[in-house]
Amino acid sequence: MSAAPILGVEALSKRFRGLLAISDVSFTVEPGSITSVIGPNGAGKSTLFNLVTGYLAPTAGTVLFKGHPITGLATNRIAELGIARAFQIARPFRDLSVAENVRIGALFGKAGRRDVVATTRGALELAGIAHLAEEPASVLTVGQLRHLEVARAIATRADLLLADEPCAGLNPTETAAMIDVLRRIRSSGVTVVLVEHDMPSVMEVSDRVLVLESGRLIADGTPGEVSKNPQVIAAYLGTPD
Amino acid sequence: MTQKPAAFVAIILGCAVVLALAPLILPPFYVRVGQLMLYSAGLAVAWTILGGFAGYASFGHAAFIGVGAFAAGLVEERLTGLPPALLLPIGMLVGGLACAILSAAVAYPILRLRGTFFAIAMLGVCHVCAELNNNIDVLQGSLGLNFPAVAPAAWDPAVFFYELYLAAGVVVFLIAWQIQRSRFGAGLLSIREDEDTARMLGVPTERYKRIAFVASAVLTGLLGVIYAHSLGYITTDSVYRDDTNLSLIVYSLLGGMGTLFGPVIGAFMLVFITQVVLARLLDFHLFATGLLLVLLVLAAPGGVLGLVKSWKLRRRAAATAPAE
Repeated sequence: MSAAPILGVEALSKRFRGLLAISDVSFTVEPGSITSVIGPNGAGKSTLFNLVTGYLAPTAGTVLFKGHPITGLATNRIAELGIARAFQIARPFRDLSVAENVRIGALFGKAGRRDVVATTRGALELAGIAHLAEEPASVLTVGQLRHLEVARAIATRADLLLADEPCAGLNPTETAAMIDVLRRIRSSGVTVVLVEHDMPSVMEVSDRVLVLESGRLIADGTPGEVSKNPQVIAAYLGTPD
Repeated sequence: MTQKPAAFVAIILGCAVVLALAPLILPPFYVRVGQLMLYSAGLAVAWTILGGFAGYASFGHAAFIGVGAFAAGLVEERLTGLPPALLLPIGMLVGGLACAILSAAVAYPILRLRGTFFAIAMLGVCHVCAELNNNIDVLQGSLGLNFPAVAPAAWDPAVFFYELYLAAGVVVFLIAWQIQRSRFGAGLLSIREDEDTARMLGVPTERYKRIAFVASAVLTGLLGVIYAHSLGYITTDSVYRDDTNLSLIVYSLLGGMGTLFGPVIGAFMLVFITQVVLARLLDFHLFATGLLLVLLVLAAPGGVLGLVKSWKLRRRAAATAPAE
């Protein structure tokens, strides 16, 4: 291991009544990387994000951020520590302009000193939506909303960005643009954890891939390793009888 | 909001000076109407700190008028030896404190409710306060409570209370304005827009809601104390009023929900319409108010300010659209 992990998940489990949505999952995320979490529908990817951001409380296990446990902290406290999340279904503040949306992220987010104006501008540029700054959020297309979602998240000056299917429903051109944005975010020093269905994008952009199936972690490695893993192939394509 | 803060304050104070001089030329009836307009506008702005900015529309803010008024009156009654000039500030201090304690106590459970559930729960708070006040003998709710005459002998009490409402209204307005342009105000705005997302972005939503609630309650209570003094004698029925509960929402709806000027415009409009235009049609005026409200909500859901905004947008669109 080159550096201390920015995110550590230790023996995490989440049970919804009879359903074990996340079962004894452990992994670490290196700073400055893009890590993708993939898996079939219902594998527990979104639940995993909900547990890390404090939206749900785990049944068992610990989440460590920069070495400190954050399990059980309120969502806004976790944001103050430096974790941001971009939702799969974009949730803009519809009555506000694009810049005002991003400004809310810049005004709050990670605790400490901040330059709201510069952070807002920087996030808009990084996400490639500076030209839309004055538009009302309500008029944006689905693709533009995803960029806004990401811009608002990184405006919080987070060190770790959890992006929940940022490419879902986007056409190939929009997907390529979003992948480009994620790369630029990594270059700016932010660690990215990605949930994504679009396999070519995942393979192209990820440093590391985690595969969840039925709440269990079945593979963990580079894109090349994971795509050759027989368990992963079985999970995605089914096993021959 | 691009206007310079100093210029904004200067404009507001300029308007206040003009309004302060108005009683010199207004006939007594209109001084009364002016009192009611300023009192209502002050209440409307205090309400909007929570209801407009944070989106937690309370249907029970009369609770704070009542609690503030009774707390002040009960203390002032025991201090009759003091000069009247001291009694009002003491009363406001006590009334404000009582509202702060009440709102802080109910904030934790009640702010977990959202939308109409919060509104109705606040109505419940108002009615519970009124019932307690009415039925606990030492609180003198049913017996009634006298307030000392605090207007200086040289002043016409009507003019004195007009100026008092004006001063209080300007203070409430400037406080709300400062809140709106602050980081706190941006946090409240994000709570109104989407509370879960706000929390995800690091907005301390619970703390912010509580602060907005207490601020709104205290300012409402202070206005209630002045109101009780202007009446001179109150019972529970004269301060815990459901038509006040309703009006506070209507003011913002009429003028523009969530804005700073909307509640002021709405309060001025509605008071003028009910007190002046429909003054001679007493039986008709509730009906007319209702009709006006229905029409406005259907035709202009954003209130008067919403109409102005959409008119500006249309003009801009027309200006930039290519000629056919």
